[in-house]
Amino acid sequence: MPELITPVLTKGIGELNLRDLAVYAAQGGYEQLRRAIAELSPKAVSDICNGSNLRGRGGAGFPTGRKWSFLPNNGHPRYLVCNCDEAEPGTFKDHMLLEQTPHQIIEGMLIGAYAIGCTHAYIYIRGEFKRGYEIMRDAVRQARDAGFIGEKLFGTDTNLELTIHRGAGAYICGEETGLLNSLEGKRGEPRLKPPFPAVKGLYGEPTVVNNVETLAYLPYIMRNGAEWFAKVGPERSPGYKVVSISGHVAKPGNYEVALGTTIRQLIYDCAGGLRPGRTFMGVQPGGGSSACLFEEHLDVSYDFDSVTKAGSMLGSGAMVVFDDTTDFVKASYALIRFFSHESCGQCTPCREGGHWLQRTLERILDGRGVDSDVDVIKSAAHQLTGLNLCALGDSIEPFLASVITRYEDQFRAYIKRPAQQVAV
Amino acid sequence: MSATVPQTDLVTVTIDGVDVRVPKGTLLVEAAKAINTDIPVYCYHEKLGPAGLCRICLVEIDGMPKLQIACNTPVADGMKVHTQNPRVDDGRRAILEFFLLNHPLDCPICDKGGECDLQDYAMAWGQGASRMLEPKMPKPKAVDLGPTIVLDEERCIVCQRCVRFDDIITREQSLRTDDRGAHVIIATATGKPYVSDFTGNVTELCPVGALTSKTYRFRSRPWDNHRTTTSCTQCAVGCQMHVDERGDALLRTMSVPEDDALSDSWLCDRGRYNIGFVQDERRLSSPLLKQDGVWVQIDWDDALALWAAELKKAGANAGVIGGGRLLNEEAYLAQHLFRALGIENIDHRVGEQSIVHSDSFANHVDLEHASTIVTIGRPPSELAPVLDLRIRKAVSRNGARLISVGDHYANSFVPETHASTTDELRAALGDAPGKMAVIWDGVMIPGGPELTAPLHAFPADRYVLPETPNGRGADALGMRPHDGALNTRAMLEAARDGKLGVLAILGANPMLRFPDRSLVEAALRATPFVVVTELFMTETAEFANLVLPVCSAFEKSGTTTDFAGDVLPVLGSVRSPEGLLADGDVIVELAEKLGIDLPLPDAVEARVRELVRTPPAAPAAADLIAQPRAAGGPGELRVIAEHTIFTGGGTLAFDPRIAELRTRPRASICPKTAVAIGVEAGDLVNVAAAGGATLRELVVVVDPRIPAGAVALVDGLPGAPLNALGTAAVRVEKSLVSA
Repeated sequence: MPELITPVLTKGIGELNLRDLAVYAAQGGYEQLRRAIAELSPKAVSDICNGSNLRGRGGAGFPTGRKWSFLPNNGHPRYLVCNCDEAEPGTFKDHMLLEQTPHQIIEGMLIGAYAIGCTHAYIYIRGEFKRGYEIMRDAVRQARDAGFIGEKLFGTDTNLELTIHRGAGAYICGEETGLLNSLEGKRGEPRLKPPFPAVKGLYGEPTVVNNVETLAYLPYIMRNGAEWFAKVGPERSPGYKVVSISGHVAKPGNYEVALGTTIRQLIYDCAGGLRPGRTFMGVQPGGGSSACLFEEHLDVSYDFDSVTKAGSMLGSGAMVVFDDTTDFVKASYALIRFFSHESCGQCTPCREGGHWLQRTLERILDGRGVDSDVDVIKSAAHQLTGLNLCALGDSIEPFLASVITRYEDQFRAYIKRPAQQVAV
Repeated sequence: MSATVPQTDLVTVTIDGVDVRVPKGTLLVEAAKAINTDIPVYCYHEKLGPAGLCRICLVEIDGMPKLQIACNTPVADGMKVHTQNPRVDDGRRAILEFFLLNHPLDCPICDKGGECDLQDYAMAWGQGASRMLEPKMPKPKAVDLGPTIVLDEERCIVCQRCVRFDDIITREQSLRTDDRGAHVIIATATGKPYVSDFTGNVTELCPVGALTSKTYRFRSRPWDNHRTTTSCTQCAVGCQMHVDERGDALLRTMSVPEDDALSDSWLCDRGRYNIGFVQDERRLSSPLLKQDGVWVQIDWDDALALWAAELKKAGANAGVIGGGRLLNEEAYLAQHLFRALGIENIDHRVGEQSIVHSDSFANHVDLEHASTIVTIGRPPSELAPVLDLRIRKAVSRNGARLISVGDHYANSFVPETHASTTDELRAALGDAPGKMAVIWDGVMIPGGPELTAPLHAFPADRYVLPETPNGRGADALGMRPHDGALNTRAMLEAARDGKLGVLAILGANPMLRFPDRSLVEAALRATPFVVVTELFMTETAEFANLVLPVCSAFEKSGTTTDFAGDVLPVLGSVRSPEGLLADGDVIVELAEKLGIDLPLPDAVEARVRELVRTPPAAPAAADLIAQPRAAGGPGELRVIAEHTIFTGGGTLAFDPRIAELRTRPRASICPKTAVAIGVEAGDLVNVAAAGGATLRELVVVVDPRIPAGAVALVDGLPGAPLNALGTAAVRVEKSLVSA
């Protein structure tokens, strides 16, 4: 079991006070920033990132180097924005990294900014992360005092500025263009794409939005070389990943593993398996937006492509485990209510469809369901998918559809209530 | 568009099996129009661009796994698109079902019924019954959004066209969405009323019946309306406009979406809503003769005979004032008739403006492409509101620079540089202003030539905005004095001195608009015979001997001239009340009484077009209607005359439905002046001229953009006529009446 867990970002957490710059520096911290700026060209740095095959850890799993390469060479200012608006149900890795190891996030942001030719990076921190914000604020101050943020860094002509921005509590602001709107002081609504942020992002300029965990890996990839990262796990989905495991397991928490570890290993070897006497009913492998996987999927390799192939997605790397005490109607309702509540209301299918499903499930749970409800739920959830402006709307169906197919009896059971309660 | 695009920039896209060649980058929804394929849209609008919100414009594109929205997909060469197939229909059916879940389906009582896109598409893709068993979600109904608009949040489908209009087009940004998810609603950004000069456009942009005009709510059904298309005659922009009428009741006016050349498809609220006067019961219905101070109805024959007799008696010692509200043909015939009688004292200028007519034929669209736009004097936003939308477009979307010169700023919604000195203007212009457009209000300002001298270093398109809707036409067609004849001011002075026997005032209200009211009053009192053609008993008509009731622009046909020198059609839409004549007919009948032959209509038409397209002779330097207003002595303030679109004593004063829109009397001063006088914003002040006239209880507006030592007062308000103060400096004192 111990060899399964491979601490990179999580190394030292719980043992060292990595919030202290001196402690972080003693572990080699900021050395890679110095090396990048003082010794390497931006292209050399981005080549290293490219060679590592690092894929975005925020949810979509897009290759980071490729994302950077989309920035047009138009002489305009460029921005790097670190997405720390972690709000996906079941995900709590960025939260931990923010509070425990803020300096590796800062170092990763500065390396990333240098690599893409950006002189002003932003970190957008979820509004609820008040403590994390305060820790980050102190860490930025330390880094600035130490000469890692500011002008003429390490005696070169490189200038790097870093600004912290707090969100105000909306899931949709984790969507990168919703985040950019919010950062600009506008209503947190996703933008119509194209144009994509790489072309027209923050303040209308070319912008890269990267997740906290993605950027935090950069100093380690720089230190150990691209190969070190690229050779771990499946070739097209390599490297390490902090996985948040929660739900009905004995030891919920964040576990950093190599991609390619199986779901079974993550649940049973890392998270201590189920509670005594319980049986496994399903797992969401990639947060609230992902479809539920079941018994037959336990040996699926936990990497971007394999989980997708199994009919779900790795997403932000949040496993939510369900045992036989689960009421899947209530579980579905909780998620649907979340998505309906968090819908920005811009586009039609998400705004109207999510709310419709929420109200129907509410009625079923209230004992007023009717026979046709199950089919209508399936159909409504299906028809709102694939038509939305952003990914939020398309996140409504997967879990609901997967569990209603597998555990339809649980839904039917609610509907078989005394007739007098069925009045609508 | 395609005519100017090089062949190499065209791509071929196949839509429903039909090849269409369009410029690269064309949006699919537009490309489909080229082959008359209708892709349904709610949020997309040609002038607002794509938003991607409603998702109704789904199409299938070969090679793309998901349905795509046609509104934000630029065509690519070889793209194969299906706008009608089972998969597309399923997608649209889904979107329609979502829209109708909480929509009240109150079509039978909805004003939009019959011209509603939701209704139309629901007929095409909607299902007979809703699959949602829950009751529809209640939202606020009949929300009073402001003085003009009522909002039904339940009908709203959140396409945000209104929000985007108020952002992209007007730049005023006073509308937004509130709350989120299914609870999202349209709201005003400040929570305050939706106040703008362009609110009515949102009712047309609204694809459903969520936004309705207070003046049209519950009044008619579109299929009962009869539609005429005309030119708006509220100002000199000449916006093309649909007029909807039912049984001779004028119900509403609508913009013309295809009118890119003049209105850019928008209307201002004055043009749209100020139509209630047409049916106002205070319309004059019969010629009125004042006998011993009492109005007596007489018939047209007697009235015209009397006028003819007075003209014969007076000979050349007569004057004609007005013409800027007449149609081209009427103005031409009028000056032809009076000049035939030997009367040379003819002037259409009755306001602040001396120059009405630029020698340029640069048009509305040219303005959009200027790199530098300079406004001098009263701003286009008040003199020609819809033109100001082009300025906002030029600045916000085409990167033009806006410079305002003199006492007035251009507007508050796009960035501008203000120059109040020659040096500031020179600095603002820089070395290379690029294509320049200069827009002037035709009023001489103190130190004007010196102040604007830097402009002469560069070529420019010149625009003069007339104060009256057909000022440029009247000017071109000869309603301006030549060769030493008297202009309006000189006529009034001569009349006051008893030197004119007849004064004819054609559709003008000098008692409210001429800068010196006491002179007008003295002139009208001293003239033996004053005849006025009018719709209402205005301030000026009250002083006449004979008042002739005439038709409004909705009741007659002909042409008008916009500020750019375009001759535009005016088409009558409703029958005038019994017993009224158009001004042109009055002139024809009068000519008959006088035995003077007038040219035939075809000749008039040809002459109008010829004269309007001829650049005017520069007016003599001394031909000033209004002198620059005097700077004050100690304790006095110079008056800046402000113009707003909602002022006037005729059509506006007699339109009770839009009383709320009328500009309230106000005195705007800078903070320093406010401190000096000891008043704050919202206080009431009295403004007194040296001559003794006083305007009482004006509301103080504190505006840092007003120059020190000046007070800005709104011109043309019947309740507080600025011209009563004359043109002298004034004293402003706090009123003893509390606000």
